[in-house]
Amino acid sequence: MKRTAVLSSIILAIFAFVSIAVVSADVAIGAKVDNFTLPDTSGKQQTLGELKGTNGTVIVFLSAQCPVVKAYNGRINEIAAEYQAKGINFIGINSNATEDDAWVKSHATENYKFPMLKDKGNKLADKLGATTTPEIYYLDKDNVLLYHGAVDNDRSGKTVTEPYLKTAFDASLSGKKIEKTNTNAVGCSIKRAVVE
Amino acid sequence: MKIREFNRGGVCFAAVISIVLVLTASIFGQAVKPSKGKTKLPEVKQIDAVALKEVVKPSGRPLLVNFWATWCEPCREEFPDLVKFAGEYKGRVDFITISLDDLAEIKRDVPAFLASMKAEMPAFLLKTPDEDAAITSLALPWRGALPLSVVYRENGEAAYVRPGKIVPATLKAELEKVLAPKPAEPAQ
Repeated sequence: MKRTAVLSSIILAIFAFVSIAVVSADVAIGAKVDNFTLPDTSGKQQTLGELKGTNGTVIVFLSAQCPVVKAYNGRINEIAAEYQAKGINFIGINSNATEDDAWVKSHATENYKFPMLKDKGNKLADKLGATTTPEIYYLDKDNVLLYHGAVDNDRSGKTVTEPYLKTAFDASLSGKKIEKTNTNAVGCSIKRAVVE
Repeated sequence: MKIREFNRGGVCFAAVISIVLVLTASIFGQAVKPSKGKTKLPEVKQIDAVALKEVVKPSGRPLLVNFWATWCEPCREEFPDLVKFAGEYKGRVDFITISLDDLAEIKRDVPAFLASMKAEMPAFLLKTPDEDAAITSLALPWRGALPLSVVYRENGEAAYVRPGKIVPATLKAELEKVLAPKPAEPAQ
């Protein structure tokens, strides 16, 4: 009890000392993601409940101008097609205030075979704590977060040795534990509507 | 008549001045203009995940670290402000930049951009097969989105973490905070 109190005080002291400009409220692995409603590129309102897959859903934060996203587009499409056949649906989210509807629509039409939703005011990004593009949230069929982070360990795609997302899919689809549930990777920052 | 003579003299004087100006501009222009092959670009040192942990350790004074890449638009946009800060706080706050560009750019785009910005801060390029581990090892509230600026106190604690483009006034205030003298402990 005493040790817990001391630890809590230390953690509080650290957080009191560090000033973080953007507070990201990361959804924890194992937490349920609430249903959300956002417009697609035609302006039609879509919900997570309607777009989710029978075996799970991937929410992927994307950008129309980020070079890292561009490098990943081919791989993301391939993975989406492969696993859609296994009941996992992809939903693209664009939360960048710097990319207008027309741009997001043309980019999505040219690049993705899954729905793209526009997150105006970055409300979903804030809710999930998304900061980067591309950034993945993989949910199970009940919208519980199973994996959060990068697609794989190589931005260029030339020497991928750890296909994090596919590994997570394969583990969960075969009823096994996902070993790596959280990864970080260099990407573009989400250009939020309100900076500070 | 006098006027005519004056005009002739004036024309001659103007012609001489023009020739002198053209020759001067040509000579000085050649001296100032950097020749393509001989321009010395700033050195960018390659570091791995182990060296990363070392370079972000302050040595005797606060340290400002900026993670960036040439392909990152907001990184490029904020760079002039960062260069200004580096000059303004020289000798009081150390400043390093860490590029996340491809290794192929270590002698091309990265130093070329730094040269165009007149950036004289020590510059590094992180190359690691495991970016996830490198990012995690920094123990910052950061998942990898660029740009990122971090102000470390001289004891190595992160005092300010700014994911995304800096707000100059905010960064300045944070730098002043870490430079502010600590309040004296009450005498016992």
